[in-house]
Amino acid sequence: MIIADNVHVHFRRGLLGKQVRALTGLSLEVREGDFFALVGQNGAGKSTAMYCFLGLLKPNSGKVQVLGRTPDLGSPLYEGVAYLPEEPHYHLYLTVEEATRYYASLYGKSIPTKSVDQALERLGMAQFKTLPLSKCSKGMKQKVGIAQCLIHETRLLFLDEPTRGLDPLMVREFRETLRDIHQRGATIVMNSHVLSEIEMLANRVAIIERGKVIVQDELRNLLTLDQELYSVAFEGNGVVPDYLTSIERLGNLVKGSIPKEKLYDFMDYTRISGLHLHECSLKKISLEDSFFKIIKGGGAPA
Amino acid sequence: MTELLRANVLVNFAFYRRSRLLLAFMLVFLVLTALISLPPLFINSGVQSFNSLHEIFSTLNGFLLFLAGGLGLFIISSHLRNRSLKMVFTKPCSPALWLTSAFLSAVAVSFLLHCIVLGGAAALSLGWHLPVRAGLVFVSMDTFIASVGIIAYMMLLTTVAHPAIAVTFALIFNADLFYEFQRWTMAMIRSGNSSPALHALEKLVHYLYLLLPMVYAFGKKTEGIHNSLRVGHGDWKFVLYSAVYATVLSAFCYFVALFALQRKRHI
Repeated sequence: MIIADNVHVHFRRGLLGKQVRALTGLSLEVREGDFFALVGQNGAGKSTAMYCFLGLLKPNSGKVQVLGRTPDLGSPLYEGVAYLPEEPHYHLYLTVEEATRYYASLYGKSIPTKSVDQALERLGMAQFKTLPLSKCSKGMKQKVGIAQCLIHETRLLFLDEPTRGLDPLMVREFRETLRDIHQRGATIVMNSHVLSEIEMLANRVAIIERGKVIVQDELRNLLTLDQELYSVAFEGNGVVPDYLTSIERLGNLVKGSIPKEKLYDFMDYTRISGLHLHECSLKKISLEDSFFKIIKGGGAPA
Repeated sequence: MTELLRANVLVNFAFYRRSRLLLAFMLVFLVLTALISLPPLFINSGVQSFNSLHEIFSTLNGFLLFLAGGLGLFIISSHLRNRSLKMVFTKPCSPALWLTSAFLSAVAVSFLLHCIVLGGAAALSLGWHLPVRAGLVFVSMDTFIASVGIIAYMMLLTTVAHPAIAVTFALIFNADLFYEFQRWTMAMIRSGNSSPALHALEKLVHYLYLLLPMVYAFGKKTEGIHNSLRVGHGDWKFVLYSAVYATVLSAFCYFVALFALQRKRHI
């Protein structure tokens, strides 16, 4: 769906400003149906990468293909694409209803009032129809942006820091809406600092560092990344092996952790002792831990 | 395509309706015009009434020329400054189409205002028992055509430069100024100054005068009509010539502005 191959972007800030090397050989692939998250520190190049996918920035070298075509401003490839910018760069002089209608009609089709009303109703914005966007909160503006995905069948949705500045209730509502859009078959590319949120939504993640993708993988792989411990739970009242750590006892249920190299020893122990094993799984870490591990390690683990 | 154009034009109309800067600009000029119009309302002489009508009409037309610049400037600068175009260009709406819609909207608003001013002038003529002169229509058409050129020129300047620089450039670097400058250099040469630098300056000023757009392309020919509001049969051709000039100028400005708009980083 999206292919970026060795993309380099550099530009000057201002006429005589310093040259910024925003992307330095970024390569990634987003597959159809993915909920893909771009993760990275400030200035890593996440937004720049997204601008390249949207045709808002032309790479100095390398290749970007979206839906099989090179993105260009206003090109027909955007017929199934929607974008929600990080900052509220909307037409602030329009009302909620006018903006929803306008953004939806930019897909070149006449939009019946009923469709606009239904979309606003679904997003809980019906009572704010006549409110100018300049007076709306960021969450309300984001909903106006998302309304276009409800009016049209969006194939590909780009979200740039979508929940930044939203209150927790709004974040939850927004998350549900995104899940719904994703379940309807849309591919979503999201760029966010909120790793816990990515953990809840995304299925694939790319970690960008200094303009380059250093890790691109399934989220589940990143959550068990380079893990050395197994979580175990078994029934037993007797002596436990000395390599079992973080022991918790709940009645006769014992929970704990064992090192990866002791897995077979533990299996032998439970078999010989005739213990009933409830759980034995590679211990998961949070995306945040994984992210810091990768960033500090300077790249993907071996 | 038609649907896209329609959607953009309607939104641009909403922009003009709700632009406080344009509203303030209009109010200032309307107050000034009202102040000019008040004294003649109490004078009951035909000649005086015509002079007043002429003055009000000229002032309003002059105002519309300034406003045309504002219409072209604000629609581009506001959307570029707010970076709202990224919402437009990430949909199947090309910069060419958006720029066309912005230009058409500005021209349509300008046309509407010219119609109002012409209607007002005709109403005043009738109110003051003056004949409704064809010159009113001629001047309105001539000024509207000049406005179209100004809109396109200001759109181009605002696309390539900061609005403040665009306004300064438009006010300082205009054909009339260079025409006067050229006349001055020629007068100096005729008075015996044969310095090569002055000759070079005269040539430079002459070419700059030719390059820069003119407000009234046939101003020398239509000056009399603007003053007397009387039109001869042969004078209407100047409206056509002006229209051709404005079309060529607008097309040039449009393509350069489009090139600049496409190369801009809308991020």
